[in-house]
Amino acid sequence: MDSAFFEIEGLVKRFGGLTAVDGVSLSVDMSEVVGLIGPNGAGKSTLVKLAMGLLRPDRGSIRFRGREITGLPPWEIVNLGIAGTFQNTRPFRRMPIIANVMVPCLAPRARKRGEWVKRIEAKARDALEFAGISDLALEPASHLSHGDLKRLEMARAIATEPDLLILDEPFGGLNPSESELLAKSIKRLHKGGRFGRLHSEGVAMIIIDHKLSDLLPIVDRVIVMHFGRVIASGLPQEVVNDPQVIEAYLGREEVEGDGHPA
Amino acid sequence: MLTDILITTLINASVYAMLATGFSLIFGVARIINLAHTAFYMLAGYFIFSFTTVLGLGLLPAMLLSIALVVVIAVLSYRILIDPMREHEAAVLIITVALAMVFQELMLVFYGGHFRSVPQLVSGYVTVLGVRVSSQYVVTIGALVAILAAVWLVLMKTRLGLAIRATAQDREIANVMGMDVSLISTVTMAIASAQAAAAGALVAPLFILEPRMWLYPLTIVLAIVVLGGIGSLKGSIIASAIIALSETLVTFLLPSGAFLKGAFSLGVMIVVLLIRPEGLFGVSFEGER
Repeated sequence: MDSAFFEIEGLVKRFGGLTAVDGVSLSVDMSEVVGLIGPNGAGKSTLVKLAMGLLRPDRGSIRFRGREITGLPPWEIVNLGIAGTFQNTRPFRRMPIIANVMVPCLAPRARKRGEWVKRIEAKARDALEFAGISDLALEPASHLSHGDLKRLEMARAIATEPDLLILDEPFGGLNPSESELLAKSIKRLHKGGRFGRLHSEGVAMIIIDHKLSDLLPIVDRVIVMHFGRVIASGLPQEVVNDPQVIEAYLGREEVEGDGHPA
Repeated sequence: MLTDILITTLINASVYAMLATGFSLIFGVARIINLAHTAFYMLAGYFIFSFTTVLGLGLLPAMLLSIALVVVIAVLSYRILIDPMREHEAAVLIITVALAMVFQELMLVFYGGHFRSVPQLVSGYVTVLGVRVSSQYVVTIGALVAILAAVWLVLMKTRLGLAIRATAQDREIANVMGMDVSLISTVTMAIASAQAAAAGALVAPLFILEPRMWLYPLTIVLAIVVLGGIGSLKGSIIASAIIALSETLVTFLLPSGAFLKGAFSLGVMIVVLLIRPEGLFGVSFEGER
């Protein structure tokens, strides 16, 4: 292969004396769903912020479809086809849900020239429909429950019809049935197809979680981070049995567990 | 006298509302406190004066040209001087005050400290509630209200408005949603300065021009924005009406104490803030994160 779809090479990010991301290299293929796991503080969220352009790395490079995207502002990265959700949901609180999703529909990537507000609204509605909260479209964002906020994040992320979707702890704080619904829509999104006016063609994904159990049914491959480094990468079953991974999680929680200490 | 109070309040309230909403917009979107905002208002008045008396242009073309020129100056100042320093709040304050001072001194150099005036757009009188009112007042009020309404519609009903509101609410998230926040800030600067310039252009025929005329409105605009609640356009408009009314009442009911109008309206602001520290429509500084 000439160049990988999404590739991170030797990425380093320091905060004062703390090296949050310490020479991470990884790559994701087109249409691949990769789980990125690791104990709290492993540097997963920092990696997401670096990939989205919210933080600048001290060293290393990030390439998307062979193009160097390190140092680009977030909006340019989004318009190249990467979208992300964040661990802390941050809606536009003083806007209704529908307007929240209309904002990414305004991005140059998502809109056609001369498109009217009405059409953008219709597209936003389809994204909400996909996320399963279209009935809340007119509620102000400040009224949403945690689970619905997570769905709103998802709707906002898919509204730009990305080629790579980075989900940071999408299952965080969800109850089992909500988790199951989310897993279903992630699978549906990856399988591709048309969702109203939105189109998805086997979007590649990086899904972050601190435990593997939620990810097992969804991901093709798992990358494990610990103290800012990648310590393992491979099929989910291989990774679970990796001695380094077991070591990293020892005394904290089981890799496959439900978050309680082993 | 009631009609006089009404007309004066309306003029001042709409001028303040134009200035304060522009100030709020650029504060919200670019997160800068632009102390040169009312200097754009002053510049527009002087440009009209130059275009009409020096170049002999008609008043209406002079107004439009002045507004355009002010927008160009404002956008260039933003891109070259303010935007690179955006993250350093204190530096932005100093730069924008310096900018206003430079404009003031330039006007002093070119025109001296004399009071200047601009011809009226329309002549004659109309009768409002049995009182004869100069048509210019009616035209000015009408135009200011129309422009305010247009800005409001753009903000609430268009794609650009949605992008501006989103950026004002959470710049970082708007950025991650694919909004070119730098471009949106520049466009917002253009809108805000056009509002200030239009206010200046529309009152130029009524008020007297002098190089320091930006300072008093700036103080009042700051008071209005704080009173209305930082970041709330509705709050800015209502606070403009409150401040303009209190100013007018002092001027009319206590003519010998007219110089106290600023102090009185700032007093009103302080009283309101003692009761509601976040301002009338403030969101009590909810965390952006």
